[in-house]
Amino acid sequence: MFLIKKSEVLKLAEELSKTYAVYGPVVEKESNQTFFVRPDSIGDIDLDAPIPSQPPKHTVFPQIERIFHYSYDKGAKRAEIIADFKPEPKALFGLRSCDLNGVQCLDRFFIGQEFTDDVYLEHRKKTFIVTNTCVKPFKQCFCVCTDSGPSAREGYDLNMTDLGDEYLVEAGSDRGKALAEKMGLKKAGSGHLEAKKAVVDGSISRFESIATDNKAWISRVMNRITTGFIKGEIWEYIGNQCFECGACTFVCPSCSCFNIEDVNRKDSSTDRLRSWDSCSFEGYTRMAGDHNPRKPVEDRRNKRFFCKLSYSQSKKYLRPGCVGCGRCQWVCPGDIGLPNVVTYIRREITSR
Amino acid sequence: MNYKAGVCNFCGTGCGHILNVEGGAVNGVFALQGHPVSKGRLCVRGWHMHELLRDSQRIDSPMIKKNGRFEKAGYDEAISLVAKKLGEYKNPSSEIAFLASPRSSNEDGYLLMKLARSVFKTNNISLDSESGHRNSLNVLHRGTGMAGMLGSLEDIKKAEYILVIGTDLTRQNPIIGSEIHMAARAGSKVVTVGSKLTQIAKLSDVHLQLKPGSKKVFLAAVAKSLIEENLHDAEFIQKHTEGFDGFANSLGSLSHNDISSITGLGLEDIKTVARDLATAKTAMVFFTSGISGLDEDTVSYIYNLFVIAGKIGKEGCGVNPVTGICNLQGGYDMGLAPDLLTGFRPISDKSAAKSFSDAWGAGFPDEPGRGVYEMLADKSSGLKALVVVDHDESIVRQAEAIKKLDFVVYVGSFENPFAEYADVVIPSAAYVEYDGTYTSTDRRVQLSRKKTEPAEGVMPAWRIFTGIAEKASARWSYSSPADVMAEIAKLTPSYSGISYDRFSGVGGIQWPCDGRRPEGTRYFRVDDAASKIKLAGVTGSFKTMRPSGEYPWLLMVGKANHFWHQNNLMKRTFIPKREYNATLLLYPKGYVEISGDDAKKLQVRDRWPVNIVSQYGSMKVAVRVSDEVRSETAFVPYFIQDMITEFLLAHNELIIEQGEDAIIPIRIEKV
Repeated sequence: MFLIKKSEVLKLAEELSKTYAVYGPVVEKESNQTFFVRPDSIGDIDLDAPIPSQPPKHTVFPQIERIFHYSYDKGAKRAEIIADFKPEPKALFGLRSCDLNGVQCLDRFFIGQEFTDDVYLEHRKKTFIVTNTCVKPFKQCFCVCTDSGPSAREGYDLNMTDLGDEYLVEAGSDRGKALAEKMGLKKAGSGHLEAKKAVVDGSISRFESIATDNKAWISRVMNRITTGFIKGEIWEYIGNQCFECGACTFVCPSCSCFNIEDVNRKDSSTDRLRSWDSCSFEGYTRMAGDHNPRKPVEDRRNKRFFCKLSYSQSKKYLRPGCVGCGRCQWVCPGDIGLPNVVTYIRREITSR
Repeated sequence: MNYKAGVCNFCGTGCGHILNVEGGAVNGVFALQGHPVSKGRLCVRGWHMHELLRDSQRIDSPMIKKNGRFEKAGYDEAISLVAKKLGEYKNPSSEIAFLASPRSSNEDGYLLMKLARSVFKTNNISLDSESGHRNSLNVLHRGTGMAGMLGSLEDIKKAEYILVIGTDLTRQNPIIGSEIHMAARAGSKVVTVGSKLTQIAKLSDVHLQLKPGSKKVFLAAVAKSLIEENLHDAEFIQKHTEGFDGFANSLGSLSHNDISSITGLGLEDIKTVARDLATAKTAMVFFTSGISGLDEDTVSYIYNLFVIAGKIGKEGCGVNPVTGICNLQGGYDMGLAPDLLTGFRPISDKSAAKSFSDAWGAGFPDEPGRGVYEMLADKSSGLKALVVVDHDESIVRQAEAIKKLDFVVYVGSFENPFAEYADVVIPSAAYVEYDGTYTSTDRRVQLSRKKTEPAEGVMPAWRIFTGIAEKASARWSYSSPADVMAEIAKLTPSYSGISYDRFSGVGGIQWPCDGRRPEGTRYFRVDDAASKIKLAGVTGSFKTMRPSGEYPWLLMVGKANHFWHQNNLMKRTFIPKREYNATLLLYPKGYVEISGDDAKKLQVRDRWPVNIVSQYGSMKVAVRVSDEVRSETAFVPYFIQDMITEFLLAHNELIIEQGEDAIIPIRIEKV
């Protein structure tokens, strides 16, 4: 455990920028909207900014990415596949705890199971993560309901907590510790850990008054979703409100569905692209012969919430798929973000 | 910072988005939270804008057809050839025509209009896919002087009562559909009137599933009921409007029996609409106003109903046509019509026409021109040369007429089957590659700034048009789109307060924006009108197609939920292409939607072929069993190129005449 003066905290990012492409929360000036991006200069990183409007998953799983390209030489009858993905080493600086949990879900999906996704692995193994404890929640947050905040518990290299004049910097890995030592950061004592606990407790207690947009008491709903005891009409009610835009998936820190598209280029080679996809689309589950196990929209909605909230899916992620960031509620044209869905299901439970 | 705020360029809603620009390419898109209309939402199309903008099927060099084959050429050569050839026609009023694009920016549209009129002396200029919105604008302009949406998309939540007429807004303009849905959740009463059980119908408090082709009768019936029950806003009518008595009298011919038998609705349903509309403090009506919008008479009834209910001219109220293409509204604002100058002023307005010829230093014909499609259809039009801007493949339907033309020019960004018919092809930059303003359906003028560089040497359209004008010896001296907007503002009262330095932040400016209203105008106010509000003239004719013993089904013809503008743009994306093509994969040659009961009666299942027979012809098509249509009504999507059949072309006039509410009495036979 170390300490760094608040006025000097960006020096950590400066130091990281010598080895990594540093990404951090930056407020875009024209729209006043927070993005998790490479800043034009490190000084643009704003650790007090609201959680970024889009989750940082694009740093390890871009919205669109070439995973390889291939060409066929007719004369020589030779096909060549070149997998030239070489993501640069990245440091994610000032990641919120919910978003780290999202990255961990992605880890479990792409590299934590039977198959390893080489492209994701390449992104991920070069990632240095510095998290930032939320000293107060934002309006749409509900990470306390999904056990994913307000402070990160594991999976970071460094975790920072604003204690007022200085940040407590906890090392979560050897390279994190090495960096702190190399920077000559002051050692912190147990009193600082208590101060952090007070900050985190304070943050949790303020959910009641600040995080008023969403509440998602999800444990009971998890039980229901896992056991399937939810009336068809509830899913239908939810499905009728789905505009099938895919937004909830795109803004979800833990959603990993993707599509593969081969695009022919003018030089007669072909790019194989991977792009974000969503289970809310009918075409996502359509199979050859036009069979579709999830044709009606409510079945697709049902699937999404199964993915986020069921116990069987949580076993894969080692945590609930929902990380409580509240972004899906922001972007949903149908007003069926996860917190609302949880409310509808709870309403059904309590109305019996 | 690689995220840059901008305006989504698909439909007429005008949502804000933010594009991820890396290494000169658009690699992602995100919703813009601070946008006053979209408030951080996008639809399935908007979420895949980057896929379109990455499309590599771009035209990369000017081409000139020599001996039947295209050869690459320089801009100078291509532009000179266009200027020279178009300058040679002796009777430009009949020999030259320009087909403008509702996707062009205001600046590009304005310069094309100026090029046609002041340089090549023809008023034959029209927008592709125009008809529906023009009908709406005609009615609103004659009545209020404002040729645009009377309300504002920002104010949807302020409407206590919302009437949605016809097409499924949740598919065509999803974010407007979303705003209506949110308003319903917040307590507004939403009523959808349409023959199909669409998503917006499901999300409404009430869905009045009337018989196809009877919207006009329904609207007239509501107006009649309003007056009979003395619920019309007499004070408002007396103080601010004229023409009430004439309209009230015209409703007399409508009997209660007719109303029920034509619409299939109970009188009580109609009375409830009238009562709710009258008692709500604020109310809005939405109807789509694009390629297959409503006919002018039906729009007139919508408008009159809201005028007599006193539901225009106030905040939270309005008659709101919804455009399907990003700059369809702006296209009309820029005078892209044979009879219009900018700001919807008729060419017959001598003083307006003079202000243009004075400013341009060049005159143009006094007589209105003709629309391009009309000229192509008329074998004796004398048309010889045609300039087409930007992608729209519907013109390919006129291929035979176009092949006969002497000289055809295509200006556009993407490779397009139409370009094959051209003698000269000139590539233009895509919309993110230069500055331009776009006017969305609620008169919101928004600046889309340059975000990436065009391919080497590729010019934006405004430069191309300027180049052609200068080769034809006109002296145009624009150095940027901002200069063009300055000229538009000078010549267009409703745009007079708009300039590029006014655009800061997001959300744009809603016209009219002038000295009196420097911040723009969110909604039409009674005192905005120069004179009293006029009720629209109506035909008073309620004849509708009726089923008969021989043809007992009513076939609706219209937009399909799964398509959007013939998929011209969607097929360049990945995900929307997959989603939008799903229906095509299932029904490669189109389909007819019928109810489950009818399918049982006919003893057919989904995707089985049937014959559809009308008075004019027949076609074989697959069945799509659907809960969206009622028994004895059927639905066929039309104007989707891949699905169009000769059958519908045989009914073309019938369809164009009836607009969105087009119906054909048919019978269906099992094959």
